[in-house]
Amino acid sequence: MAVTEIPVAAPAARSVEASQRRTGWFLTAPAITLMGLILLGPVLVALVLSFTDYALGNSGFNWVGLENYEKLFTRSTYEKMFVATFTYVVTVVPLSVGLGLGAALLITSVGRFRDLYKTIYFLPVMATLLAMAIAWEFMLHPTIGMVNRTIEMGCGTFLEAIWPFMAQGCEGGFPLWLGDQRYAIWVVCFVGIWQGFGFNMVLYLAGLTSVHRELYHAAEMDGARSAWERFRLVTWPALGPTTVFVVTISCIRAFQVFDTIEAFWPQGAGPNKSAYVMMFAIFEKGVQQNLIGIGSAITVVFLGFVMFLTLIQRWLVERKVHYG
Amino acid sequence: MTRDWWKHLILILGALVVIAPFYMMLSYSLKSPGEIDRGEGGFFGRQEMMIDERCVALRDPNRDEVASAAKRFPGLTDREIRDALITEAEADCAMRPAVFNYTMAFTEAPLLRYLLNGVIVTVSIFVIQVLVALPAAYALAKLRFWGREAVFSLVLFCLLIPVHAIALPLYIMLAKLGLTNTYAALVVPWTISVFGIFLMRQFFMTVPDDLIDAARMDGMTEFSIVWRVMLPTAVPALLAFAIFSVVAHWNDYFWPRIVVTGSRELFTPPLGLREFKGDGDGSFFGPMMATATVIVCPLIVAFLLAQKRFIEGITLSGMK
Repeated sequence: MAVTEIPVAAPAARSVEASQRRTGWFLTAPAITLMGLILLGPVLVALVLSFTDYALGNSGFNWVGLENYEKLFTRSTYEKMFVATFTYVVTVVPLSVGLGLGAALLITSVGRFRDLYKTIYFLPVMATLLAMAIAWEFMLHPTIGMVNRTIEMGCGTFLEAIWPFMAQGCEGGFPLWLGDQRYAIWVVCFVGIWQGFGFNMVLYLAGLTSVHRELYHAAEMDGARSAWERFRLVTWPALGPTTVFVVTISCIRAFQVFDTIEAFWPQGAGPNKSAYVMMFAIFEKGVQQNLIGIGSAITVVFLGFVMFLTLIQRWLVERKVHYG
Repeated sequence: MTRDWWKHLILILGALVVIAPFYMMLSYSLKSPGEIDRGEGGFFGRQEMMIDERCVALRDPNRDEVASAAKRFPGLTDREIRDALITEAEADCAMRPAVFNYTMAFTEAPLLRYLLNGVIVTVSIFVIQVLVALPAAYALAKLRFWGREAVFSLVLFCLLIPVHAIALPLYIMLAKLGLTNTYAALVVPWTISVFGIFLMRQFFMTVPDDLIDAARMDGMTEFSIVWRVMLPTAVPALLAFAIFSVVAHWNDYFWPRIVVTGSRELFTPPLGLREFKGDGDGSFFGPMMATATVIVCPLIVAFLLAQKRFIEGITLSGMK
């Protein structure tokens, strides 16, 4: 039997190979086509249009060279855009990652109500951000909002004596929050952190379960007595890969902030454009004002940032940042 | 427990800040405009009967109605009949604030239509994503063919491109094709989920080859292997991916905002809420928060019912 099977098997293998090649391409064809049309195509389109003065409805366009990019890096509007975007990213990423880690560590160290805290902190991740931004807008309403009403309760107490902010507010009224240039971007940052830290917490909780118990014993044997020492020597290094991932994804999400800003200030992205972030700029310039050249230039710069961040992450992961 | 009190204190304070806007949203959706303005009434408000001024205004009796009602009020002057009719209208228009807010949410704007649109869009996106990603993932994981590595590198490269970032060129392309303001515009950019392909490929790598060889022995075609062998084994991973996809697209605001302009027929829930906010004045806080509650609720309730699965699904991207 075995002898007769061998000559049959060889051509069969070859035909299997051929058929696998055909089905392989056949099964991946829709995905490849869509990747080309929906992801790679638009990147090229943005790149090309960023060198033109194209507008929807025009039959043709002129090449303008680097003019759009020149505007992007010289005009004060775009300076505000970069300042607002980076302020947001640089504030939201460390704080939402830090709070996520803090919450995860606290939750794993307490005995009771773990699941309850976890559920509550995860709620904002699930909720429609636009709806929650509107809820925050009401909370921050200068006169009838819950925030100022709560702070007002501190008036006339010892808080007024020890906290200058309180004393000022009780005398001359509490901040307008969204209407005040000094607070606007920070309120947006706050909502971003409020919404995102639960997501980071869950990732850290998953990371913490994979830290080996023996490592803590070993560290204790080596004289790491305090909780801080144990964290520094065992937990933090073991969480390396999680941290790399959490930071990258927080950065990419932070760069894409839009809903909160559109909900708070549909027209101008904050008092004196103080919250004029990149996604809002793309939307306003490219879609609303039909200035597609400049909108595409912002898109290209934006993609540059995001790809750069992801590549750094992949590089760090490949270097195997964990020692756990 | 006693040693941990400070930890609980911090966690509880955090929880209060996290819950505050949800509390306010729900509470305002139940209260009357007056209670919202004055900040009274606790969580539920007093639920006193309130009169819907607009409903009364709509029923403001005209000359003919006064004349035809004369029979019911014999011996009264026209003016008295008019007053009596208004009182009747007020009685009919009185309702509890909670009922008022939620009725307004559904009647002021076609909220049901928005919710239906949300369902149509999220479901079509998910179904198409699976139809495209599953065969590709199977081929990348289990078939040997020339160019496979190249295709996989393409997938890895595309993972770098967030769809929101290329919204402008996508919008231009759709506008050129005359597709803005259609369901297609809402769905098309999301039909390819490179992340889905990557995820399912990683999952299929763990499926033993024997299973596929056995199916081939039985004379199944590769196509039916994908749908009748691989699909059933992938159900847990698909469920997690479904949650990931549905949550993202139910809550998405940026993309619908770009491609849907004007026509309410196509509004997704967040767009509807946004429009409600745009034309409402102060007295609309209640109905608006009712709308927000209705939109946020489905996912929150589903999450509370199946927390483990949801957390798994949303943090899927953590599996990279």
